Amino acid sequence: MNGQEIRLCHPMLLCLCLVWAAIQPLASFAQDSQISTFPALQAEQEVLSIHAATDRPAMEPLIRDFQTLNPNTRVEFVEYVTNDLFAAASKACQDGRALGDVLLSSGVDQLVKLTNDGCAHSVNLPETETVPRWANWRDEVFGFTFEPVVFVYNRAKVPVEDVPTTHLEIADLLRLKPETYQGRVGTYDIRQSGIGYLLAFNDSQQTTTTYGRLLESLGRAQAVVRCCTGEILDEIEAGRLLIGYNMLASYAYARIRAGANLGLVVPADYTLVLSRGAMIPAAASNATAGARFISYLLSNRGQTLAQREAFFFGFAGEAPAGLEGAASIVRTGIARPIAISPALLAVQDDERRRRFIADWSRSLVDMAKR
Amino acid sequence: MAHREPSLFTRLIVLISLVLMAGAAALTTAAWYYAREAANDAYDRLLVGAAYQMAEALNVQGGTLTVELPVSAFELLANSERDRIFYKIVEPGGRTLTGYADLVTPENDAPAMGSPDVRDGRFKGVDVRVTKVGRSFSDPSVQGRVDVVVAQTTEARTALARELTLRAVALIIVMSALALGGAVFAIRYALRPIGRVGAVLRDRDPHDVTLITVSTPRELRPFVSAANAFIARLKNRMDLMQQFIADAAHQIRTPLTALKAQLQLLSRQPMDPQALQYLTRVQERVDQLSHLAGQLLSHAMVNHRAGAVPLEPVDVAEVVRRAIREAVPETLDRDVLISLELPPVPVTIAGDAISLKEAVKNVIDNAVRHGAPSQLTLRVCQKLHTVDIEVKDDGPGIPPELWSQVTERFSAHSPGGSGLGLSIAANVLAACSGSLSFRHEDGNGFVVIMSLPNETGPKA
Repeated sequence: MNGQEIRLCHPMLLCLCLVWAAIQPLASFAQDSQISTFPALQAEQEVLSIHAATDRPAMEPLIRDFQTLNPNTRVEFVEYVTNDLFAAASKACQDGRALGDVLLSSGVDQLVKLTNDGCAHSVNLPETETVPRWANWRDEVFGFTFEPVVFVYNRAKVPVEDVPTTHLEIADLLRLKPETYQGRVGTYDIRQSGIGYLLAFNDSQQTTTTYGRLLESLGRAQAVVRCCTGEILDEIEAGRLLIGYNMLASYAYARIRAGANLGLVVPADYTLVLSRGAMIPAAASNATAGARFISYLLSNRGQTLAQREAFFFGFAGEAPAGLEGAASIVRTGIARPIAISPALLAVQDDERRRRFIADWSRSLVDMAKR
Repeated sequence: MAHREPSLFTRLIVLISLVLMAGAAALTTAAWYYAREAANDAYDRLLVGAAYQMAEALNVQGGTLTVELPVSAFELLANSERDRIFYKIVEPGGRTLTGYADLVTPENDAPAMGSPDVRDGRFKGVDVRVTKVGRSFSDPSVQGRVDVVVAQTTEARTALARELTLRAVALIIVMSALALGGAVFAIRYALRPIGRVGAVLRDRDPHDVTLITVSTPRELRPFVSAANAFIARLKNRMDLMQQFIADAAHQIRTPLTALKAQLQLLSRQPMDPQALQYLTRVQERVDQLSHLAGQLLSHAMVNHRAGAVPLEPVDVAEVVRRAIREAVPETLDRDVLISLELPPVPVTIAGDAISLKEAVKNVIDNAVRHGAPSQLTLRVCQKLHTVDIEVKDDGPGIPPELWSQVTERFSAHSPGGSGLGLSIAANVLAACSGSLSFRHEDGNGFVVIMSLPNETGPKA
C-alpha cells in the first residue's frame, strides 16, 4: 500500500510518506514479528527458537519434519521482514545477547555482515560439507535453498506475445506498450526490503546498460513498489498488476501450485539465484539444536522435502514442471548464484547503499511522480 | 670393574642425533618464521590492493565526499576465503564516512612514495592485519587527506604459514632421517678397521710373535704400534728364554759326554754284580738325560727357527732319509726293520729343511723308543693339497683318548720319555701350517701322519 500512496502522492505528501517509511521499521520491531509455536511431539526437553525473514508456510513442513526427528523439541518461529531481522540481530549481537538459536533470512548480505562482525557460531557437521562452496562462508552462514529470481505475470491478462523472456525484453515491453503496462508492473521496494535491495544491486552488477534501461523503463512505466513478494503476487493474482519483476520463484510457484493463474518466466539472458541463508547467533542459548536444525535443512531429507513442499528447486538446478523460459539454468550457465561471501560486504556498505537507493529512488520513485 | 662404557657407535649416534634434533628444531623455527613472513607478504599485497581500490572509488559529488566501494575490492580480499574484512573511510575532519567507526586507524604514516605499511592489530577480539591508504583531496569543499583503513583477520595467513611450515618440516624430517641413516652407515664403515685389528689379534697363533702388519687407518696406528711394541718385547723375552735353554742344554751336554766316557771306563773295571747293576742304571739315566738335553736343544732350535728362517724349497725324500740316518741309533737292543717308501717323482715343498728333519727325527725316535717291536715303515705320499709323511710302527701305539695330549710338552703319558718329541714335531708342523695326526691301522700298526701343505700343488 505504501508504494501506491507514493505513486499518487503530491510532493509534500511524499515527504511525509518517506518519513513514515523511515520510522516504520523501528515501529514494527515489536508488532511485525509474529510468533508461532510448534509444540514438541513428545515430552518437551528443549526449545529451538528460529528467527526468520522467511514465510512461515514455506518453513512449516520443514519444521514439522524436523520435529519428527527431534520429537522433544518445541520450536518457536518468529517472523520478520529482512531488514527488521537484521536490525534486531545486529543490536542483540552488539549487546552480547542472542536473537534466538537460528536465523533464517533471504537477505544473505545481512547474514554475511553479521558473520563478519563476529556474530555467528560455526557449524561443523557432515551435512554442511555437501553445500556448494558458493553457499557457505566460514561454516557460519549457509545457503539452504536455490531460488531463481523470475518474472511473474498474470496469464489471463498478458498475451503470449508480450511475455518477456529477458531483462531487455521487459524494458522494451514497458517502453513500447506504455498504455497497457503503465502502473501495472510491480517489484520490490528496495528501501524497505533487504532482499529487494540485494537483487537490484546484483542486477546492477550484471549488465550496467541493461540495468539502466530497465530502471528507466520501470520508472517511466510508474512501476509499483511493495515491501514483499506476497503483496505483489496478491495484486498480480487479482489482476491489478500484470507483471512482477524480480520475484522469488519459490513463492510464485507455490501460488501456481495452489491454483493461481500465474505464469513464471526464468529469464534467458541471466537468472539471479538466491540462496536463503541460515546461521546460528554467536551467543545462541541452544546452539546444538540450532546446528541440528541447520544440518537437517542441508541434509538429503531436508533438501528433498524442501524441493517437494517449500522451495521447489534444488542446488543442482532441478526445476519443477510448468516453468517458462530457460530450462536447466545451471547447465546452460545462465544461473548467477549470489555467492555467500565477503564480497557481499560491499552490498552492505552504508554509503554505497545510501547512494544506490538514492539513485534507484530517483529513477523509479521520482520518475513516477512526474 | 667400573661401569660399562657406552660403545663408540652409541656415543657417536647419540651425539649426532642430538645435533640433528637441535638443527631440526632451529630449522623448523626458521621455517615457521619465514613461512609467516611469506604468507603475510602474499596476503598483505591483496590487502593493500583492496585499500587502493577503495581509495580509488572515493570522489566528491556536489560538494560532499562519497564513495561507491567496489565489489572487486571485497572479492580481492575474499581470496582468503575464511577471513573477515573490516574497513573504514575517514574524512579529513576525522568523521567516519562509512565502515567500522571503531576500527583503530594505524598511527604512523607510510612514507609518501613507499607502499603502505601493513601491521598487526586486534579488532573485535581477533588478530587482524591492518593497512591504511591515504588519498589527498584538494577540492574546494573537501580538502585534506582521506584515510582508507582496511583490516583482515589472519586465518588464511596462518593456514598458509602452517602449510608451508609443515612442508618444510617434512623436508627437514626426511633430511634428518637421511643424515642419521648416513651417519649409521658411515660410523659402521669407519669402525670396521677396529674389528679387523681385533680379529687379527684374536686369530693369532699363541706362539706367533711376529709383528702385526694389517693396514689400518691413521687413528688406529698408535694402538697397533703399542701392540707391536708389546709383541717385540715379548719376542725378545722368548728369544732370551730359548737362548737360555739352548745354552743350558749345550752346557749340560758337555759334562754329560764326559760323564758317559767316565762311566764307560768304569764299566770295564771288575766289580761285584750288585755294583754293576747300579752302574748300568746310572748309565741308563745318563743316556736319558743326554737325550733330554738333545731334545731341549732341538726344541729351542726349532722354536727359534720358526718364523725367523725364510721358507725354501725342500726335497722331502732327502729330509726323511737324513732323519732316518740320524735318528736310528747304531746300537739298538733289538732288530728293527726300517723301510722307506717314496713316490716316483721328487716331492718338493716350501719349508725349513732343518726344522723338518728335526720333526721327522723326533717322530722316528719316538717310534723306536716306545713302539716298533720289529718294524718301522716311513712313507712319503703326495695328496691333492698336502704332502704326508707317515711313520708306521707295529707297536701298540697311543690310545686315541690321549692323542690330544701327547703333543703337549712333558706330558705325563710318555713313560721313560721326555715328552718333548711329538711336541717338537707338532711345533714344526704348526710353523709351516701343517698338522700332526694319528691313525690306527687295521691289524696292528700305528701311524703318525705329518701333513705339510703342498703349496705348489702336484706337479703335472
